[in-house]
Amino acid sequence: MKLSEFIRPASLAEARKALRELGPKGMPLAGGTALHFMQSKTPVTAVDLTGLGLSFIRRKGGFFSIGAATPLSDIQRYRSPRWAMHEICRRISTHQIRNVSTIGGNICRVFPWADLPVVLLAMNARMVIYSGKESEMGADEFFSSQPARLFSGGNLLTAVKIPVLKAQHGFGSVKANRNAAAFSLVTIAALLELDGTTIKSARVAAGSAIPFPKRLPEVEAALVGREAVTDVFKKAAAAGGTAAKWNVREGMSADYMRQLAEVSLLDALERAAEFARGRVD
Amino acid sequence: MTRTSHTVSFTLNGEKKTFDTRPDEKLLTLLRREGYRGTKYGCGQGTCGACTVLVDGKATYACLLYSMQAEGRKVRTIESAGTFDKPGEFQKELIAAGAVQCGYCIPGMVMSATALMESEKDFSDEIVKEYMDGNLCRCTGYEKIWVALRRVLDRREAATAKRPVAGKKTSSKGAKK
Repeated sequence: MKLSEFIRPASLAEARKALRELGPKGMPLAGGTALHFMQSKTPVTAVDLTGLGLSFIRRKGGFFSIGAATPLSDIQRYRSPRWAMHEICRRISTHQIRNVSTIGGNICRVFPWADLPVVLLAMNARMVIYSGKESEMGADEFFSSQPARLFSGGNLLTAVKIPVLKAQHGFGSVKANRNAAAFSLVTIAALLELDGTTIKSARVAAGSAIPFPKRLPEVEAALVGREAVTDVFKKAAAAGGTAAKWNVREGMSADYMRQLAEVSLLDALERAAEFARGRVD
Repeated sequence: MTRTSHTVSFTLNGEKKTFDTRPDEKLLTLLRREGYRGTKYGCGQGTCGACTVLVDGKATYACLLYSMQAEGRKVRTIESAGTFDKPGEFQKELIAAGAVQCGYCIPGMVMSATALMESEKDFSDEIVKEYMDGNLCRCTGYEKIWVALRRVLDRREAATAKRPVAGKKTSSKGAKK
């Protein structure tokens, strides 16, 4: 994307005002990596958000709050009890990209290969949006279609709130790709709430191999009320295989992608159950 | 609000510099235009790592950073790591191991390794691979680069006595999997 100007607002209000005035000729910039791959016929003005104090990770109440301009490498390195976001961030692209790309950039304009929307859907995250004042939106609504729709009026994502997992919660994410730095072929994330050995609730989401990240209610229905054991996970994964239209990718058939999704679903569910039972890595 | 002039000021290899630029000029282009040609143009799309520089100590692809984003920051290029007459520690080991064929990837490799050595105390294979996973080499198959880097890291670990070199399990293979 061609840049014609580069401005550095001193506050969120200034940033919003600039973006409102610029309309389609303005583009918020944090890490900026995505801008290099976006096409536009006319140059845009970059509105730099990196000086607005939006890079942080804090635990407050029942949430981890991650600033929208927090680099993925910071999320990857952060550690706290019942924290699981590092798992997927370690798998996103390369070290150099993770040092620059931000969580906000990853989710405000969702590219087909984006991993974080899948994780945030499963985690039931809440997005904090500044529109002159801050308000929150749940992941289901935020990712109901392209989130860029929410920011066309100059509004800005300021933070992502991740619920602190409780003792009986387990989270697992799996990313299948050709090599460590490649875009995802299939990304799966699963959050299980156990009551003893029974699955009390489940949130399972998929991305990359489908047109847009989404939850898989068929998989969730196949889990709730059943034992957290491999046989149940296999049946739920099979339900996932038929629940979505899996894309043909890079020479791989749709049927291969379906199988890859099923295997990834099984792995994610097993990892989530291990987490609930005390896995900490 | 600050509407920037088309100049950028940052500390480059320890010296404060100001450059004329354009809003859409990449840091890589600016550096090479200004004579810092050790930083290589490889893929131009954040894949190969030949253009890796350190920005505030963190390894960054200069091809995916607009020059204006470097404002006020500390940028280090391969020129800060050593010279032909006085190569840095890793550069010496790369030569000793015969790890350099075409050499195009080496500046990026050295900068990623510099970030690793300055940021981490744990040089386990897993951590090392994490820091080096954004640098591709299409000549050597990585093994000799890995051997050279391990020699440096093992020495550093021995020097800090965190782990003795003898008996340490490290792999000379599989730098990239």
